[in-house]
Amino acid sequence: MAIIKAEKTPSRPAPIFETSIIGWLQKNLFSSVFNTVLTLFMLFIIYLSLSGIIGWGFIDATFVADNRRQCYDNSLTGACWAGVIDWLTNIFYGRYPRDEIWRIDFGALMLVFWMAPLWMPRVKGKVLIGASVVVFYPFLAGYLFAGGDKGLFMQIMISAAIVALIGNMANLITGLAKNESVVQFLLRVSGKMTAPDKTQRNLLLAILVLAFAAVFWWQTSWSAVGVPWTKWGGLFLTLVISGIGIASALPGGIILALGRRSKLPVVRVLSTSFIEIFRSVPLITVLFMATTMFPLFMPEGFVLNKLVQVIIAVVLFNACYMAETVRAGLQAIPKGQFEGAHTIGLGYWGTMGLVIMPQALKHMIPNIVGSFIGLLKDTTLVSIIGLFDILGMLRSISKDVPWLGLHKEPLIFGAMLFFILCFSMSKYSRHLETKLSAGNKH
Amino acid sequence: MKIRPNFALLAAAAVMTLSGVTAASAQSTLETVKERGNLRCQVGQPSPGYYNLDSDGNWYGLDVSICQAVAAAIFGDPTKLEIQSVSTQARFTALANGESDMLSRTATWTLTRDSQLGLDFVTPNFYDGQGFTVRKDSGITSALQLKGAKVCVSTGTTTELNLTDFSRVHDLNISAVTFEDYNVRDDTYLKGGCDAVTGDKSSMAGNISAFPVPEDHMILPETLSKEPLAPAVRQGDSQWSDIVRWTVFALINAEELGITQANVDDMRANSKDPNVLRMLGAEGNLNEGLGLEKDWAYNIIKAVGNYGEIYEKYMGDGELGIGIAREGSLNALWTNGGLMYSPPMR
Repeated sequence: MAIIKAEKTPSRPAPIFETSIIGWLQKNLFSSVFNTVLTLFMLFIIYLSLSGIIGWGFIDATFVADNRRQCYDNSLTGACWAGVIDWLTNIFYGRYPRDEIWRIDFGALMLVFWMAPLWMPRVKGKVLIGASVVVFYPFLAGYLFAGGDKGLFMQIMISAAIVALIGNMANLITGLAKNESVVQFLLRVSGKMTAPDKTQRNLLLAILVLAFAAVFWWQTSWSAVGVPWTKWGGLFLTLVISGIGIASALPGGIILALGRRSKLPVVRVLSTSFIEIFRSVPLITVLFMATTMFPLFMPEGFVLNKLVQVIIAVVLFNACYMAETVRAGLQAIPKGQFEGAHTIGLGYWGTMGLVIMPQALKHMIPNIVGSFIGLLKDTTLVSIIGLFDILGMLRSISKDVPWLGLHKEPLIFGAMLFFILCFSMSKYSRHLETKLSAGNKH
Repeated sequence: MKIRPNFALLAAAAVMTLSGVTAASAQSTLETVKERGNLRCQVGQPSPGYYNLDSDGNWYGLDVSICQAVAAAIFGDPTKLEIQSVSTQARFTALANGESDMLSRTATWTLTRDSQLGLDFVTPNFYDGQGFTVRKDSGITSALQLKGAKVCVSTGTTTELNLTDFSRVHDLNISAVTFEDYNVRDDTYLKGGCDAVTGDKSSMAGNISAFPVPEDHMILPETLSKEPLAPAVRQGDSQWSDIVRWTVFALINAEELGITQANVDDMRANSKDPNVLRMLGAEGNLNEGLGLEKDWAYNIIKAVGNYGEIYEKYMGDGELGIGIAREGSLNALWTNGGLMYSPPMR
């Protein structure tokens, strides 16, 4: 007679060696004598290196001291972070006048506020915001950083930038509060929501002109103290050079890539030779050429702004690399897409701008961000030609008499800074990839 | 032929450019500097003792003081000065094309440079020389005992060549261990990677002072090379080179006459010594040939002190000094057996 239980047998817990930590350890680390030895050996190595790093960097380290001798008096084997701390202002802002440093902070903050709406789903008019950052922000920030006399052109651009910033901020507020753009808000408040297009346009134009006039009048009342570029330095200079490089390398690269694929022989040959020449020489050669050789061809006493020379060299150099990345992306687009675009009557620019580029750029994100990270790191080369960018500053610490010979700590600090910058860039690009390819996984 | 007119145009343009250049250089350097309102003085990338950045981003050092002295001589104000930090590769080009008005950096005065690079060295403001650093407990007291030793040296400099020459002449069979960065060179020496370090004595003295235990190391007495470090100016403007040269001499002369930053006002008002009065502009007209104000030398001393004071501050035992003894060295005044000697200022 078979014994049939009516109720279900209670499920037994999984065997201990399958679930517990001990089980996991047994299975993965101590499964045989050889593996046990290996595990213990690796643990020992990890212990050695960690205790060395922590001992040197934290336990024996000196954080407060007036000079390196005091660090030595505190501990001969620990790091001397006091030197790095003493130089922090130099590392971040270079030789920028200490009373004017708020201008750099303010410029950075402005960029954050200007760009932040781009990531907020409720805010309207993202394309306009993006365009206004690219067109106006450089002028406002450039004047803020450099100061001096405002020419008429600069006055106009600064006023326009301020108007754009105010508009952007107003748009942010109306977007967050009422889920509408600032234009819609203005029309609604003035009761012209249903008025004909022409009335609406005139009203908006009038507001714009009024705002511009008011800002223009206001900006004549102040000016910023001039700070020569020779005083720019540190992380600030690195970010200025790489920021401009990043912002202009992509458009430059797209133009060059399209030029290389062009059917017009002159455009194609020029683009190709330009790309090949710049890609075939190291960046340092381009920099030396720009700063050492170029002035020889200039009339005597003609002093060029070395920073501008460096930025031009960096932009041209990186545009050429970017061009090849873009070209690779373009080649990945099947021919059918071009033909499809043609069938619906799009011309060359329509095809490229609306159909091909949006698809191609999406594929290129990892490569583009890779180039940007490379660019950020490459800008440290300018320290060799006598600019005090972040690397130049870090290396100068070991020459400052109170901190004579202190060279490891600054470089480690610099490495950590660069890691933070580059890692966040690469994390952001991963995020962008997932976001953009959410619709079509393949 | 259609090409000819174009060539003519090109040639005309070239001639015009050239004449433009000569017109520009017809203006003396002094006039250019005065017109611009500041002096562009070139130094190098930071080097202890000579030119350094402090944590507030200001320049200081022996060579920076020379720049300040020249600015004071011209404008009466040492802050009317732009310090340019130029890489070693570009230093002479930057002077030649007029980017810098003068060069005050650790450039050794050699015949080739003086005669072939279109520049004039004025007069040494520091006498350096190559030497060896060893550990005291090694028992070595002379470079001639370094037989078969491993010596750490920086690459790409005359230092390396001098070492090879020295080894060959004295049959020492020294093996050189080369480094790009002198900080790494010193770290290797400290960890026992080599028996000695070779380099310029001044910079090594500075580096030793930054070793964990400076008393364990010493510099050997032998000097392998002559390194007279001198400011330089562009060739072809003798008024300008006179100004820079006599600025250095004024610093040395002031020390000899006992004029210091602290007592310069008192000396000008109350001194009985005609040499002092002439130099400080209370008497005579020493300034005329230089095209400077009457109190140019007074302004120099008032701004930066005399040579001895500058030396003490940046090379000697001052708070920012790197601790190189001056006594008995070439950098002592000639009255103390050194080479610092100013021609008479009269």
